[in-house]
Amino acid sequence: MGDALHRRGRPLLGTFVEIAVAPGADVGGADRADRAVSAAFAAIETVHGLLSFQDPASDLSRLNGAAGGWVKLDPLTLRAIGLARAMTRLSGGLFNCTVGGALVERGVLPDHDLSVGLLSGVAEDIEVKPGAARLARPVRLTLDGLAKGLAVDLAVARLRRAGITHGLVEAGGDLRVFGDIPTPVHRREVDGGLTLLGHLTNGAVATSRVGGDPDPDQPGWIVAADGVAAKPGLYSVLARMAWRADALTKVAATAAVDDRDEAVTRLRGRRVLSDNEAAA
Amino acid sequence: MTARNLLGLMLIAPAALAVAAPASAKDYLTIAQAQQVLFPGATFAPTAVTLTPDQIKRIRKQSGVRQREDKPRIWRAMKGGNLGWFIIDEVVGKHEFITYAAALSPSGRVIGIEILSYRETHGGEIREAAWRAKFRGKTLADPFKLDRDVPNISGATLSCRNVLDGVKRLLVMQQVALPAL
Repeated sequence: MGDALHRRGRPLLGTFVEIAVAPGADVGGADRADRAVSAAFAAIETVHGLLSFQDPASDLSRLNGAAGGWVKLDPLTLRAIGLARAMTRLSGGLFNCTVGGALVERGVLPDHDLSVGLLSGVAEDIEVKPGAARLARPVRLTLDGLAKGLAVDLAVARLRRAGITHGLVEAGGDLRVFGDIPTPVHRREVDGGLTLLGHLTNGAVATSRVGGDPDPDQPGWIVAADGVAAKPGLYSVLARMAWRADALTKVAATAAVDDRDEAVTRLRGRRVLSDNEAAA
Repeated sequence: MTARNLLGLMLIAPAALAVAAPASAKDYLTIAQAQQVLFPGATFAPTAVTLTPDQIKRIRKQSGVRQREDKPRIWRAMKGGNLGWFIIDEVVGKHEFITYAAALSPSGRVIGIEILSYRETHGGEIREAAWRAKFRGKTLADPFKLDRDVPNISGATLSCRNVLDGVKRLLVMQQVALPAL
């Protein structure tokens, strides 16, 4: 079971981000591994700076505050918006990146001194052209979980480019393992306990929690397209990439109970059940 | 119950955890490793500082956070000239006890933050000083011994607000109590 990874942690994305890499031979010692890990953390900071809803100066906030005008955006921002728009459309709104207004109205996200506008919208509200995007109706985009997953994916890409062959990146519940060494993955349960979900190679798992009392230590919140809170519980999804795994936890949370597994599978993920759930 | 026993329980019987709700524990860098990550190639001079009651009060007032420790663990980082301050600090939250390192520039900018260890609990034991002291020695003495017991967790987002508040407090402490570099 021992993985003996070299682990580092930083407070980023409003949560704790952990990066663990196999030290030694394949990367030429700890110093080089540490440089690669520092670069991976920097990639996560870049994503945060561009896609944070909370930060009024982020690319995302500039787009949300542009009152329908075209806004020049970083290629990374456009990539994230493209993924979010496609997932919103393909999931039929089960995942919906336009629910920023609903979250502002609930006080989950800051209003940045703008009126709430529409509580939520549809994929077609987002228009994209090379280098820029605009919002055709007064919706507000929120990319929180998808941005977090994308940050994890970019950090993994940075590590691999540095020659690291095995490791993991975890950010606030989104976890991606790269390399062929099976790595044990646990889930944090609602009561704080940990359950072993299984062993993961070359894949990502994300878990979102729905319901319970609002808790400033666990600021996540999921609303369905119509603004109604999703069904309480923990939703874990496995996918190749972390952005997709995170986005699909929202699909699992908001889909009709009997369509849940199929909706996630259709969008190239797989629901993960703990032993307890599988037995139930 | 020792920390090792807690962790052993976690490994042997994961299914029982939902009932036992034990702590998860993670060790990241040693102090020496964190120093090299945050100020690569620098040398470090320990700097003895004892905060006066008045300084502690001012730090509380200006940062909004209580300064618990009157003898903070501080090093001056040097490479040619002074690069800044390296400070080890601890924060206690509702569910966690975190030791971290902050690198501050001479002008009071945050150069970087690295978590050294993260203890999570959902019981009251984290506030017991003896329990904390037990971990403190462990953290510094054998950083990676626990590595194979470290869980890789997918789960609800935990806020890092406590650490960021702690760093804000350290920036005020720099102004109030540390000499200009």
